[in-house]
Amino acid sequence: MTTQPQEIPTEPRAVSRLVAVIDIGATSIRMAIAEIKPSGEVQTLESLQQAVSLGKDTFTKGYIDTEAIDECVTVLRSFREILRQYQIVEESQIRAVATSAVREASNREAFLDRIYVATGIAVDVIDEAETNRITYLAVRGLINAEPSINKNETLIIEVGGGNTEALLLKSGQVTYSHTYHLGSLRLREMLEDYRAPVLELPEIMQIHIDRAVDQIRRRLSLEGSIKMLALGGDIRFACARLLSDWSRKSLARLPVSQLSVLSKDILSHSVDDLVRRYHLPYPDAETLGPALLIYVRLARALRLRQILVGGGTLRDGLMWEMAIREAWTEDFHQQIIHSALQIGRKYTFDEAHASHVANLCRKVFAALRREHRLAPRFETILIVAALLHDVGLFVSNRSHHKHSMYLIMNSDLFGLGARDLELVGMIARYHRRALPRPTHEGYARMDRQSRVAVSKLASILRVADALDSGHVQRIQNLELNVDPGEFRITVRDHANLMLERYALQLKGQMFEQVYGMKVVLRETG
Amino acid sequence: MSKKQPQFFNRELSWLEFNQRVLDEALDKSVPLLERLNFLAITGSNLDEFFMVRVGGLQILKQQAVPTRDHTGLTPGEQLAAISQRVHEMTAAQYRCFGEELEPGLAGSGVRRLRPADLSERQKERVEGLFERDIFPIVTPMAVDARQRFPLLLNLGLNVAVRLKVEETARSTPESGPVRPSKHFAIIPLGSRPDRFIQLPEEAGYAYILLEDVIQMFIDRFFPGQTVLEHAVFRITRNADLSVREDMAGDLLAEMKEVLDARKESSCVRLEVEKGTSKVLLAFLTRVLKVSNPSRDSLSIPGPLDLSAFRKLASLDQFPSLRYEAWPPVPSPDIDRKTSIFKELANRSIFLYHPFDSFEPVIRLLQEAAADPDVLAIKQILYRTSRNSPIIEALRQAAENGKYVTAIVELKARFDEARNIGWARELEHAGVQVIYGVKGLKTHAKLCIVVRREAQGVVRYLHFGTGNYNEITARLYTDASYFSVDPDLAKDASAFFNAITGYSQPHGLVKLQAAPTSLRSRFLELIESEAERRRQGQKALIMVKMNSLVDAQIIKALYQASKVGVKILLNVRGICCLRPGVKGLSDNITVISIVDRFLEHSRIYYFHQGGEPKIFISSADWMPRNLDRRVELLVPIEDAPAQKRVISILDTCFKDNVKGRKLLPNGQYERVIPPPGKKGLRSQEALYQQAVEVVRQVQTASRTVFQAFRPAG
Repeated sequence: MTTQPQEIPTEPRAVSRLVAVIDIGATSIRMAIAEIKPSGEVQTLESLQQAVSLGKDTFTKGYIDTEAIDECVTVLRSFREILRQYQIVEESQIRAVATSAVREASNREAFLDRIYVATGIAVDVIDEAETNRITYLAVRGLINAEPSINKNETLIIEVGGGNTEALLLKSGQVTYSHTYHLGSLRLREMLEDYRAPVLELPEIMQIHIDRAVDQIRRRLSLEGSIKMLALGGDIRFACARLLSDWSRKSLARLPVSQLSVLSKDILSHSVDDLVRRYHLPYPDAETLGPALLIYVRLARALRLRQILVGGGTLRDGLMWEMAIREAWTEDFHQQIIHSALQIGRKYTFDEAHASHVANLCRKVFAALRREHRLAPRFETILIVAALLHDVGLFVSNRSHHKHSMYLIMNSDLFGLGARDLELVGMIARYHRRALPRPTHEGYARMDRQSRVAVSKLASILRVADALDSGHVQRIQNLELNVDPGEFRITVRDHANLMLERYALQLKGQMFEQVYGMKVVLRETG
Repeated sequence: MSKKQPQFFNRELSWLEFNQRVLDEALDKSVPLLERLNFLAITGSNLDEFFMVRVGGLQILKQQAVPTRDHTGLTPGEQLAAISQRVHEMTAAQYRCFGEELEPGLAGSGVRRLRPADLSERQKERVEGLFERDIFPIVTPMAVDARQRFPLLLNLGLNVAVRLKVEETARSTPESGPVRPSKHFAIIPLGSRPDRFIQLPEEAGYAYILLEDVIQMFIDRFFPGQTVLEHAVFRITRNADLSVREDMAGDLLAEMKEVLDARKESSCVRLEVEKGTSKVLLAFLTRVLKVSNPSRDSLSIPGPLDLSAFRKLASLDQFPSLRYEAWPPVPSPDIDRKTSIFKELANRSIFLYHPFDSFEPVIRLLQEAAADPDVLAIKQILYRTSRNSPIIEALRQAAENGKYVTAIVELKARFDEARNIGWARELEHAGVQVIYGVKGLKTHAKLCIVVRREAQGVVRYLHFGTGNYNEITARLYTDASYFSVDPDLAKDASAFFNAITGYSQPHGLVKLQAAPTSLRSRFLELIESEAERRRQGQKALIMVKMNSLVDAQIIKALYQASKVGVKILLNVRGICCLRPGVKGLSDNITVISIVDRFLEHSRIYYFHQGGEPKIFISSADWMPRNLDRRVELLVPIEDAPAQKRVISILDTCFKDNVKGRKLLPNGQYERVIPPPGKKGLRSQEALYQQAVEVVRQVQTASRTVFQAFRPAG
């Protein structure tokens, strides 16, 4: 079966590519320049970092003021200079993202426009799920190299300036991901607002942290042993201080007692002291104490003696994503599917039916590759939609497809960004009843490409759902053929396919409209 | 602390001992005569700088009564007294050397200095003509009076002081001459005229007369109608302008900052006057020049003043037998001159030791980078470089060829400011992005990065050095060069460069260490680690080669290491404040110093680390200014062949028993002498011969393959 070359982006390219990722965070803007070898190997050439005060603005005033915007423009312009040295000038070579400090600012659009006009850099504001997904990409390698993570339940925690991201892995599978509004800078800014006596600050800070930590802890079953894998610049700093031989390329084991002593020590010093003592940039010195305290409190709440520390950063993840381009790895695909199953279970779905439909979808998607011409990642989107198409039944039997859409779009589904999640929701919504119409809310808002993808995939889901309309998974062996004007499904070993044929008549109409082929169901003795 | 002996040597006195070692070379009869003269000239210019920078600072401290003591417990006043005593001795020794050995020796070899009385008639005529035509019209005497403002005399320039007879009838019209002094005294400033050595016709050899002697021959002509009672050559040394030259006073800087503004008018820190000057004239000079402590700060000079000027005479090239035999730098066999330097440097590191190995590959890297279509960017730190530097030219061309060129130009490099500003402008015009150093710090690190896009991906060619990017001094100073394409080093080097150019905040370097952030703590860690290994019973050894050892914290760490039994070999060319060989303190520390024809300038650090040595080269000495107030780099030498070479260089230096001196516990240096009946080892000679030998072997090996010689074209 031939495929369109542009849809197989994983195909190795002959030459290496120079790329850059820029991460606009609450306290600093960081950039990594790397080379992606034809083998897919990523070789980082330079990393840069400059302090900005975005978080201070957003977390106190709710918007970014002109001065902070100008500051960002200056930094990004100087980064552009470095990029010029490597002749990184194409938009496709640069991935710039912004996290919570920009995401939560009321003037984020104005901010992004100003940056684009002044520097030519198009900044993506990434949402929480996407941040989680990228973080996971960054530590994938580390996790795979650490067998104990695959055996145990592992909580991956990254304390940022604005938020704390949590990912829970069970047997190496992502089972839960969430972003908490607990961040080192946010905490510091909040405490400053309180104007509490200085001596009481650590205590107030701890109360705040413990409240959020409790939230995290309650999401965990705490059965058996749990491990904690900490990510982020602050914990890396602590690790480098406490473990002199840590190479950053492997996971470090950091005793919580030592971390606790260090965090107390750091909180007892002024920021100026820290800058002098540890040669830290100011923004790092400001967030170090609160961040370490969050890790410590969390580790204590989980009754851990030691935590793991990894060197992966958001930029590593972004880089990795640029390396694999649009395509998701099989492993990553599995993580998403796993997370979808968790959500399905939460809404007590008919797992056997859902999995069966998903399985059928996969087969149809593969068989129609020449017809739909969609990139492989749409397969994942389709499968997630197939798994979750009926979760709306949890809410009500009436119009359950609409409830499915709503639940999906508001779920903590790991790894899918808002746009992908919207696709999944839409596909699930159109698995039955009305065909997409411009008057439908949501559908009309989508861009054309997405609308076409929804139609292509929802029509496949309808066919697959029809094939298991009895919810008894009768059809196991089938053969799919594309003939002119006809999509032929041949089923073995079944005498009576009346129910399925009837369902197909009803649900195959959309398929016929989209692909211009009739769906024909045959059985062979 | 016990009363008997401080744990440290005073850095000023230690510096004077270094100058003494240079003077010893001038006294060494086995050294060719013009080279001896050159060494003597170096002792002169060294002392000039010492007075401007160090003595000036101490005098201010003393005058401002800043309560400060050095590590040996001396106050500024006590230090000044000790310095003065030593300088008086040294000056006497310098002129004994000049008057009793060099001048007669040179005259015997055909280089003759003529005094007015020695001149033949023909020579006299020549001198007179010269005086009338070239000297008289431009040299202007100035009448001076203690009540008037004294004219501003040039720092380090020669002057002639004249005492005139007070005429009862001083009524002659003041308009009749260019200057008609009616006072007792006049000054004739000679400025820093380049033509101090006036060559005179002579049957054979080279004969010269000094400008000041010519002036004195015809001194009456400046004062028609008056009687010249006395004249004397003198020279003043001013306190260097410390407010802009931030490192000059080194460790004194912090204390001095506040007192500096009050001292805008730079004072005279040293007055040198020709021997035989009368008390009257001397008293006048010390008064008008405000010499605060005449017995301490004025020196009576028994010979020509300003010996540093004799460097010019020492470079006469018509007397090869009076000079060292030439040791032309050898092209390293590791780098084929016929293939592209990028090909030669790919996939390996190369260590060069100048001036034995030629500096040419460093220049070639930049020249080829400038023209190479695959080169994307060049990043270069320039501290001091030569006039018409080929490196600057290469950077200029690179920029014109569309490369992205960034140059950090250190404008604060002492005495080179004006030159640096000149070519920095030139680079900017060519499109080079010029960055003028780091605020508050001098950029002393030696680093060049060439970013090149190749088929396999981006490769960064790195050059690290211990010396400046200056092809002239690279023939006179011993310095190390290290080329590498190691991606980890490259990442660090880029991060370091981005940090000092302000593109990024400094963040974790993996292989490199930089001052003023991590260098000091890294050195302390390495010393402590060696001590810990010793405590655990391992063999422990530290070998270091540097220019100066001053930093008290490092010295204390070395004492601690010595106490637990770490063997410490230090090769410190200049100042060494560490007191070696003291029982219970520094038994295991040996300090040697090498002073020879090339200025020992490389900084090499070796830590044994239980047999897996950590070896570094650096731009930094163990001085507070290097560790705390400069941007410096410590570069690990990790590949085996380079490590082997470095160790062999260190070994050779420590074996030197010809030009090596050992520092004794009492602060004096003693020549190391070869065992009886054995030939001595002179390290610079040995290193040169090794370099030559390696090339010879490679050539012999290649001679087994015949290459047809074809005429070109």
